[in-house]
Amino acid sequence: MGRFIAKRLVGMVGVLFAISVIVFLIFNVIPNSDPAARIAGKNADAELIARVNDDLGLNDPLPVQYVTLMKEIFTGQLTSYSSDLNVDEQIREGIPATMSLCIGAAIIWMAFAIVFGYLSAVRAGGKLDTMLTVLALIGISLPVFWLAAILLYYLSFRVQLFPTGGYVPLTEDPAQWAYHLLLPWITLAVLFIGFYSRLLRSSMLDVMNEDYVRTARAKGLSERQVRTRHVLRNSLIPIVTLFGLDFGAVVGGGAILTETVFNINGVGLYAGEAIGSLDLPPLMAVTMFGAFFIVLFNTIVDILYAYLDPRIRLGSSAV
Amino acid sequence: MSKAWKVLCLGAITALAALGLVACGDSDSSGGSSSGGGDVNVTMTSFPDYIDPQLSYTLEGWEVLWNTYVPLLTYKHEAGEDGTQVVPGLAEDMPEISADGKTYKLTLRSGMKYSDGTPIKASDFTYAIERLFDVQSGGSVFYEGIVGASDYVAGKADTISGITTDDKTGEITIQLEDANGTFTDLLGLMFAAPVPPSTPKDKNATNDPPPSSGPFEITSVDAPHTLVMERNPQFKTVQDAGANEVADAQVDKITVTQNKSNSAQVTGVEQNNIDFMVDPPDADRLPEVQARFSDRFRLEESINTYYFWMNTQEPPFDDLKVRQAVNYAIDPEALNRVFGGRLAPTQQILPPGMPGYEQYTLYPGPDLDKAKQLLAEADPSDKDITVWTDDEPDRKRIGAYYQDVLNQMGFNASLKIIAGDVYFTTIGNASTPDLDTGFSDWIQDFPHPDDFFRPLLNGENNLPTNSNNFSHVDIPELDKKQDELVQKQITDEGVTDDYAALDKAYMEQAVWAPYGNEQFTTFMSDRLDFGQAYSHLLFSQDYSAFALSN
Amino acid sequence: MPGGEVPLHLDLSGSAVGLEGVEGRSPWYLAYLRLRRNKVALAFGGLFIAIVLFCLAGPLWATHVAGTDPNTNHITDTIEIGGEETDVVAPNGTPLGPGLHAKYLLGADQNGRDVMVRLMYGGRTSIYIGVVAALVTTFFAVLVALLAGFYRGWTDSALSRFMDVIWAFPVLLLGIALGTALAVGGLKLGPIVIAGDSLWIPILIIGFVYVPYMARPLRGEILALREKEFIEAATAQGKGSWRIMFTELMPNITSTIIVFFTLNIANNMLLESALSFLGAGVQPPNASWGTMIADGYQTIYTAPHLTIVPGLMIVLTVLSLNVFGDGLRDALDPRAKIRLES
Repeated sequence: MGRFIAKRLVGMVGVLFAISVIVFLIFNVIPNSDPAARIAGKNADAELIARVNDDLGLNDPLPVQYVTLMKEIFTGQLTSYSSDLNVDEQIREGIPATMSLCIGAAIIWMAFAIVFGYLSAVRAGGKLDTMLTVLALIGISLPVFWLAAILLYYLSFRVQLFPTGGYVPLTEDPAQWAYHLLLPWITLAVLFIGFYSRLLRSSMLDVMNEDYVRTARAKGLSERQVRTRHVLRNSLIPIVTLFGLDFGAVVGGGAILTETVFNINGVGLYAGEAIGSLDLPPLMAVTMFGAFFIVLFNTIVDILYAYLDPRIRLGSSAV
Repeated sequence: MSKAWKVLCLGAITALAALGLVACGDSDSSGGSSSGGGDVNVTMTSFPDYIDPQLSYTLEGWEVLWNTYVPLLTYKHEAGEDGTQVVPGLAEDMPEISADGKTYKLTLRSGMKYSDGTPIKASDFTYAIERLFDVQSGGSVFYEGIVGASDYVAGKADTISGITTDDKTGEITIQLEDANGTFTDLLGLMFAAPVPPSTPKDKNATNDPPPSSGPFEITSVDAPHTLVMERNPQFKTVQDAGANEVADAQVDKITVTQNKSNSAQVTGVEQNNIDFMVDPPDADRLPEVQARFSDRFRLEESINTYYFWMNTQEPPFDDLKVRQAVNYAIDPEALNRVFGGRLAPTQQILPPGMPGYEQYTLYPGPDLDKAKQLLAEADPSDKDITVWTDDEPDRKRIGAYYQDVLNQMGFNASLKIIAGDVYFTTIGNASTPDLDTGFSDWIQDFPHPDDFFRPLLNGENNLPTNSNNFSHVDIPELDKKQDELVQKQITDEGVTDDYAALDKAYMEQAVWAPYGNEQFTTFMSDRLDFGQAYSHLLFSQDYSAFALSN
Repeated sequence: MPGGEVPLHLDLSGSAVGLEGVEGRSPWYLAYLRLRRNKVALAFGGLFIAIVLFCLAGPLWATHVAGTDPNTNHITDTIEIGGEETDVVAPNGTPLGPGLHAKYLLGADQNGRDVMVRLMYGGRTSIYIGVVAALVTTFFAVLVALLAGFYRGWTDSALSRFMDVIWAFPVLLLGIALGTALAVGGLKLGPIVIAGDSLWIPILIIGFVYVPYMARPLRGEILALREKEFIEAATAQGKGSWRIMFTELMPNITSTIIVFFTLNIANNMLLESALSFLGAGVQPPNASWGTMIADGYQTIYTAPHLTIVPGLMIVLTVLSLNVFGDGLRDALDPRAKIRLES
């Protein structure tokens, strides 16, 4: 087991390294994104640009630039080209908003998915099941940003039930915090509710036919007890696994659209701005941040799975 | 307008303004100290680039810093064209300029202190200019003409030899390599505002801005989120020294916050939760704001020109007829609608408000038939052209309109949209392929017409990289005219008329297709005195004119 | 969110697709019978075809009804509505809304372009990107799965690590980063030159990022099939590796591929709209539903139809593909082993 974990952790570092190199290269082979010219201002002359370039170390060979950049990321000294602000600090400042959004949405999507999935499964084939299936399919067919825009338009502008976006820190005013985040939470959760409820439904239907469930029934447990204690509990394993992966993906960049439309000052919004201005330092840092979460949760899930099911560990190369 | 009439006009307005200012000052000293003024909150979509007088080079930054860091000279705190007049700031008087136009003599007022109590010294000016070069400011380019500046930059000298100061008498002497009629304007920019030597010389001071010399001081900065401006407790020393052109604050505290959502800002002002929004309401909300809040919303003039550049060195736009055809074809009214109704139509280079502006129309239109006819006469061999624009929503729409017009004229135009932050460096790089024509705008750096001609149209500035001469204009006799005019002072006889003629001469060559002057906006809460607030032509909203309404 | 939020699927069962072994009738015929019974899936399949036809009819509508191209501006034009001359775009920039007039049936956008015409042309772009990107994904995913599953060992390790890297990339960030960067200079890879405004840029980005999502489960199936006797038999007969891969292994995963392909189109369309919304997808003035929303969103308060209409089209199209894909899976794979849900 220890060896397996070590192997996964090494793999994790390798993946992050590969990603950092790819992002670095993408943005260094693009023509015309000369940051020095932008910093030097609209009236800059060649001499000033040359000095700025020197200052930024942009005349160094690419590998040296890469090493410098990575060193600065990990020592917290990286500053953005376009605003001269510390990148790590900006990301740190964005984390509370992004985490508030993601954790809140995750709670909502899990709660609704379990209720809907459970109801669908126990009423499989019935009217309620059909209705929930339709809703779930619509949920997974909605473009997130469009849903956000429409909710904002109708509920914030036309009816003025909700604020027009923005983020209020939890520490400042918990009520306002929740009030501002309610629409974003729902927006982000809808897709997952649709998906998870359907997955739970089919997973429960599978489990219901397993031998041990029949045994439980034979022991004289009530149908309700069978469903919650045996069926639901066992059906949740794949859902929880998946949840780990999806949560990593959402924190690691998946929330960018929701943050953009609802104007939430999180990591995603910061990333969107950095990309829009082709500003390499924040772009590197944000991609690494996102990739880190995705890889981290992937690894955790892998290790948990290996712990639960030893066969995986022995396989030649785990998926 | 005739010259005599203009001079008369200016004199009258100046006199009126002086009276007005005196009156204002009176009511201030009584009202300001007793009532306490109050707090104002301001929002902007983009936080200022720097909170540092030597570095800031955006409208947002200048708006905040104008009433914080006072240069030797400053601009009149007046709406309209009067605001483009340079007046004494920390200096006692306007500079004494030698006959050859190369030596500027000024005297610093005595007894003034920065907000932290440090005395303001003449040598602080030298420090500021040197600092400008040390922090590699975008503004340093303007001051390269000072004798010894290049040696200082190259590290060959420890100080700029062309600036001599005497801290005792307050005398400041500046030597220029060549006469430069724009230099008084340049002395009025915050780039040249004195800062105490405690300011880090080669580092951005945004997080801990230097003590101020204006009515406000910046008491806290949390870039890029918020900053707080409060009354400068030492501003009285500046006033007592006689700097009456530097207006005093009428509120105690201004909190400036970045808010990325234009729509949320509009709603905030509508509901009086936000006192003033710096950016204009988006085209989307503008009709509603105009209809419902006409008592606290208005459009404001600003000195800028929106135009399409055309590469005059390459076919098909190397042909005058083709360029004239474009000027005939485009419809400023259509572009105004695409822009949400904030683009006053124009067809010339200099915008209203800029000295030398005289309205004329060379290409009456829109006249698509005339355009097609001219294009047929020119019959360019290359009709496959690329239209460039950046990715801001209104500019994307402008690009889409322009591409469509060119196609209707008979071109085969394709549209290229570039991220806003890299757009100008991309089209300013001569090695970028397919630079045929596209979007550009120019907002003045200072209200001198040379700022429109030299960077944008001078053959000398037809640079391989970072060029602003996107049309690659190179007309030697007009360059010569520019050089001749810039040696003179703008107030000299005939200079503004000559600039007006220069404007027309370039448009006869149809080097651009200009179409509009963007108007800014003032949109305020009920809490503020809307009548007193105004937008300055150079520094946008004047925070010293903010006062609570009662 | 497409991409970033498309759930990851672990096929840990390690079991083979359960389609072989039905005696008598071919499995395809049985699947056909099952699909024919699923009226809902068929109806939604029909809806998808209807949407495609609607979009294909764009040029007809443009010439015979609207009388304008999708990209032609009519900013200062007026049309007669109820006997009154009405601006297509008002002086304050507000465009005409939807109404019962042949021209501008669904209103105009801020450039005075006919939204109905743009909707039809935009749909062609969106669906085209969805389908072609799905072909790209499928091609690479099948290739990776076959190679990794057949050769195993270091080939598998190398490919799996490579998939790990793409997988771990924040999909939207990667997509926008590439899209924004390539819009400037296009893509030059040796002899292949793609212009910055080419549809191939969003197609390749979208096609590429979804490869691991399809390749991983397919690889699992191949790994399982690899152990079966009929492969051993084929090897014993001396069949070459490529022949085994394409004539023995691939036919056995075809049903999985079909289902994945259908659902992948839906995902691709969602990702395309998200990329275009963030300015990194289809480049204007070409319409796609995503760019139409992106442009329209700028004026959602004064002209909400510009946001709502293209959005509804995306929802309908994606929904029809999802429901149909679902039915297809039930038909092809009644034991529900294929676990790509959205």
